[in-house]
Amino acid sequence: MWSRKSAMLGSLAVAMYLLGLTLRNSQLVTIAVVIFVFLTWAALFGGHADVAASGRRAEEWAGEEGVSLSNVSAMRKLSSARIFEDGEVSVTLRMQNHSALGKILEVKDRVPEVMRIKDGANYILMELGPRRETFIEYTVECPLRGFYSLGPVAVRVQDPFGLFHKEKELHVYNDFLVFPKMEDLKDTFVKSRVPKIFTGAVNIRQPGPGSEFYSLREYFEGDSFRAINWSAYARSGKLMVNERERDAVSDIILIVDSRAVSETGPVSRNALVYSTRAAASLAKYFLGRRDSVGLITYGDEVVSVDRDTGKKQLYVILTKLAGAMARGNVPLQVVVNRILPHINKGSPIIVLSNLEDDPTIVTALRDFRARDFDVTVLSPSSLEFEFDAKRLDRTGYEVLKTERDVLISELRGLGVNIMDWEPDMLLSTALAGARGF
Amino acid sequence: MATKSGDTAHLYDGKTVRSSAPSRKKLAGQASATGEIPKDAIPTVEIPTFIESLLGGPLVPKMKFLPADKMVQNLQLGCYGVLIALGILTYIVTPAVGTLWFALTGSMAIANVLQLMVVAGAIGTGFWGTMTRDARFMLASYILFILSVMRFASSKVSLSQDLFGFGDSQFLLTILVVIYAVLLVMYFELSNGVLRFSMLDTSIRTREVYVMNVKKIIGKYHRSLVINPLIAGTLAMIVLSVNTILPAFVSLFSEQMALRMEESVELISVYGVALGTLFVFIVVGGLFALDLPTHLQSWRENKE
Repeated sequence: MWSRKSAMLGSLAVAMYLLGLTLRNSQLVTIAVVIFVFLTWAALFGGHADVAASGRRAEEWAGEEGVSLSNVSAMRKLSSARIFEDGEVSVTLRMQNHSALGKILEVKDRVPEVMRIKDGANYILMELGPRRETFIEYTVECPLRGFYSLGPVAVRVQDPFGLFHKEKELHVYNDFLVFPKMEDLKDTFVKSRVPKIFTGAVNIRQPGPGSEFYSLREYFEGDSFRAINWSAYARSGKLMVNERERDAVSDIILIVDSRAVSETGPVSRNALVYSTRAAASLAKYFLGRRDSVGLITYGDEVVSVDRDTGKKQLYVILTKLAGAMARGNVPLQVVVNRILPHINKGSPIIVLSNLEDDPTIVTALRDFRARDFDVTVLSPSSLEFEFDAKRLDRTGYEVLKTERDVLISELRGLGVNIMDWEPDMLLSTALAGARGF
Repeated sequence: MATKSGDTAHLYDGKTVRSSAPSRKKLAGQASATGEIPKDAIPTVEIPTFIESLLGGPLVPKMKFLPADKMVQNLQLGCYGVLIALGILTYIVTPAVGTLWFALTGSMAIANVLQLMVVAGAIGTGFWGTMTRDARFMLASYILFILSVMRFASSKVSLSQDLFGFGDSQFLLTILVVIYAVLLVMYFELSNGVLRFSMLDTSIRTREVYVMNVKKIIGKYHRSLVINPLIAGTLAMIVLSVNTILPAFVSLFSEQMALRMEESVELISVYGVALGTLFVFIVVGGLFALDLPTHLQSWRENKE
């Protein structure tokens, strides 16, 4: 392929040739001749190879001879296919030259735009000898959750003067998943009012039949004698009984707003980023407590993960959160209508939304409250993100902030535990604030 | 060494910021004092400048060069040398007669001064462009060099200064013109090389690109800098000697015809040169039409 430089020189040569004939100027014609010879020589012997190449997925790399008839092939291996935000992936790219000629290759392994090369380089200029191979190693830092794909590998061969080149994309792709990072939570202050009881369940900080000590209280008629704390009786002279923590599990429902508006703000600081991180942290906490956790994300459609327990459920939830895309504008009311028949009455519901651009929020949350659900809303403030990024001026910010405060007060009036989650606030602090601690 | 932090905002410094959601963008636009959509709400697209695209385009889209390394300095020195030689030769092989300024002014003295100024301007801008590694000045220099050679020459190669008596020999004149043309092309290539290798060097030092086996890559470029002009010059000489070669070939069949050709005004004029060039054009065009470069390459690659 002609480069712009060679095209320019070629055009110049033609122009000079014609002009030379017109002006009867042999210097001009001579220059044109020299340029043409220069170009021809570079084209014929400059080593601009036809990079007939093929690529294969890394899993196909089992040591067998390459399928490619070609000259250059690429294979890639990743250190891990699943990582958390701010994690690193080491990439090994294997480049092979099957031809009898050495080549000067420009190799660029395409890395998603949001990622940063931490060590090594994904853009290499190298001389690859005949029938030789080389390994290119680099590490990428992955600051944002999502499904990502590395590749294709762009290869370019050109002559020393950069006059002619051949480019080819080797379609070698490796997919990997970046989970939202999680915050360690000590307590969430969220418990079910209608816990389910079963053997081996965990305590939920409510008095009831269980094994863990909860508190002392005075004896009432009907209490079991076995519950009497005789030491306390000896100390106080009153009959005191031990109360135990109730062993139970809760159904926790996490609702994450992934509408287009949830991505308002900078790429790394917006409501969706905060919501997914919070949902991941909460899921980890509740599942660690052996609660049953379900997840609903809504954007252009309502996607739900059925309630379940265990590590596998955490993986399923993290995968869904990693893939949550900001798009669509499904109102919360649609979500409420859809899930209401399927969730246990009184289950804690945690909504993560910036509460913007949805006129059904109040009625939707009112529906939850009317059925006595324990509703907690953590609302990452898009206004703060926008204001910090200097996209909103002071007046606009104040007006919108007032509107938001009015909405939050209204929701609080419905009995919703709500917190205006500011960007620098830790999740645990926001939760404690929402629950009135 | 980068520290680990929960806040990843620093990773986006200087990077493209995604546009905000339409509702907010609209809102932000309405809320600002000026009523404009904030600049960072609009994705940035970097398009190479006209000059960049003419010069082959940079390896890394937009960057300031770091101080020149040894390789670039050597290229700059080479470029200065070629520039001086080219300046002198340009002045010698392009007398003011037949130039545009001579036609406009009708005065030989003024035309001489103007021609000298054009050549000096070409050298000056070339020097400055090479030193500062600014493609705009280089382009100006190229244009001035080409402008200086554009003159009505009546098919004759005449010299403004002939201290060594080159004008007496057609062969020496041809050599002089070929050297001039080769130097001009070398100047194009060397000045372009200064930019290309500055970009490459900067990319290497900013870790944008990693180069394996730098010496081999540079060595290949150096070899090409010597071999290509030699070949170009030799082939150009052959083409330009068509008025000698053609009669010699014809003399195998007819001595008289060969003699007539040797004395032919057309063949020793620019049209003779054009005829030789036409052969080259046809051959080159044929080679490309047959996709010979690719076939040749394939053959070379596949041979055991």
